[in-house]
Amino acid sequence: MRSPSLGRLAAIGLATSFVLPGLALAQQAPAPGWAQGRPDSMAGSSLAPHAPKLTATPADQLPTAALRVPQGFKVELWASGAPGARMMTESPNGTVFVGTRTLGRVYAISEEGGQRRVRTIASQLTDPNGVAVRDGALYVIAINRVLRFDGIEGKLDAPGTPVDMTAAFGLPSEAHHGWKFAAFGPDGRLYMNIGVPCNICDYNRATHALIVSFNPDGSGRRIEAQGIRNSVGFDWNPQTRELWATNNGRDWAGNDTPEDTLHRIRRSGEDFGFPYCAHGWRDPAITSGPATCAEFAQPVALLGPHTAALGMRFYTGTQFPEAYRNQIFIARRGSWNRERLSGYDVVVAELDANGAVIGVEPFLTGLRDEANNRFLGRPVDVLVRRDGSLLVSDEQNGAIYRISYGN
Amino acid sequence: MSRGKLAAATVLAAALFAPGGAGAAGDAAHGKALATERDCGQCHGPQGISVMPDIPSLAGHPEEFITLQLILFREGIRDTPPMPALTQGLTDQQVEDLAAFYASLPPGHAERGPRDAARYAAGAALAERLRCGTCHLPQFQGRAQMPRLTGQREDYLVHALTEYRDGTRRGTDTNMNAVMYGVSDTEIAALAHFMAQQE
Repeated sequence: MRSPSLGRLAAIGLATSFVLPGLALAQQAPAPGWAQGRPDSMAGSSLAPHAPKLTATPADQLPTAALRVPQGFKVELWASGAPGARMMTESPNGTVFVGTRTLGRVYAISEEGGQRRVRTIASQLTDPNGVAVRDGALYVIAINRVLRFDGIEGKLDAPGTPVDMTAAFGLPSEAHHGWKFAAFGPDGRLYMNIGVPCNICDYNRATHALIVSFNPDGSGRRIEAQGIRNSVGFDWNPQTRELWATNNGRDWAGNDTPEDTLHRIRRSGEDFGFPYCAHGWRDPAITSGPATCAEFAQPVALLGPHTAALGMRFYTGTQFPEAYRNQIFIARRGSWNRERLSGYDVVVAELDANGAVIGVEPFLTGLRDEANNRFLGRPVDVLVRRDGSLLVSDEQNGAIYRISYGN
Repeated sequence: MSRGKLAAATVLAAALFAPGGAGAAGDAAHGKALATERDCGQCHGPQGISVMPDIPSLAGHPEEFITLQLILFREGIRDTPPMPALTQGLTDQQVEDLAAFYASLPPGHAERGPRDAARYAAGAALAERLRCGTCHLPQFQGRAQMPRLTGQREDYLVHALTEYRDGTRRGTDTNMNAVMYGVSDTEIAALAHFMAQQE
């Protein structure tokens, strides 16, 4: 179709942006985040971020029937009526806490008599995307706020005033890429991303484009990964305890450049190269920094251009066939900065015995309508429940699907 | 319920054909009744065309834009009195119905001053530089979460653009804040004049 000419267009765009000195970019009034770094040759592009949906989608209007999973698996609706549902975490009691972005809410979803009950336990927050549970407390991380709801299980109906830990964590306040994924590591520390406050720019590499960890009280900040543009999903390899993370590549460098990536962080503080490099591709928009990408750690897998690879978990359950044990499920929310839609699915990264990624395969599909270049839903996170089933949150529809195997 | 079936059919059609993803879900007739009951027209005009200074016209906006803004008011995220108070108690369905009603009304101007050639030209140049037409479309009629600009009151456009520039308002994302960064009062006045003079 239009791909060959688009390829040429992208190449011209790269050549144009090559001559733009990074310093000049920094001195101009900032372009809107979605348009930043866009070459003049793409000025006429009508690509723009898709609108969120902040109202509830009734269960009978969900795309559940369109969902496809491999033979032997079953996918069904688990919960609906949770607009904007994104990152998920499960408490020891089985309550699933869910963060959102624009809508500003946090949900608690519990099972009562075979039904799911959705409660809004916090609201009016700025992008409370990060949720994590430890020692009976729910941690909610908004853009620059950290709230702790102690003993949350006992007060889902009236959570009360949380402990405000914002000052202790001292997070940056930029809204752009400021929403957090958060989780407690096997070392008991609280990990979160700090995304870059632009599409592509020179920025302080010690304060942004990081994965950082803290003691649960907000002290002892440590950089776990550097030069990682925006990671909105990570998990620890259950066998090696190594941190693995997804990362979103930048926009406006062409339909197929760069790709989103999967990273294995072998040591604390490892540098993955943003803004200079993405998976070995030297970004011409940044003229400062090293001439090549040789000094930076490489991703372990490419996850497709503009796919928005977000939530990821190692499969630690026993319900799915043995072949899935310790493989990685990854939710791809789906593209906007690409003429043909990409993503809008859940893939599984297959690891060999040495932890090398030997393939990335589709797992949950059906939300991308290829014929009409439309999407029916946007998967943001995956969560392995204690019973071994896999939950998938669909932000666009405010729904959560459950994938099970066997009976 | 026939209404439920009709709504479901509408949603399926919208999901397949609307730009991007899921689309319209509201019932304009229900929205009209609700707008009458809540007297929205007292400020916004009975046909969604405002005659009150600084109160926006709603006629002909994209349905998604109206839905999203009403939800931001109701959730206390867009804090512009009296709208947060007036939207309390609205269900999601009622919000979508109101949005469908106002989206269905023909846009137009209640009152408009004469064109000032110099300000119009300055506004046109600024609209080009800021690439307003990329998201709001070349005729500035808006799409999805991006509002209609043509037909809007000039004083309201000044008000809204100033709020975006000053960071006292954000949309469903922060893109407008970045667009308006560093734009002067004079430039905002020119841009609003240019937009308000569009047909």
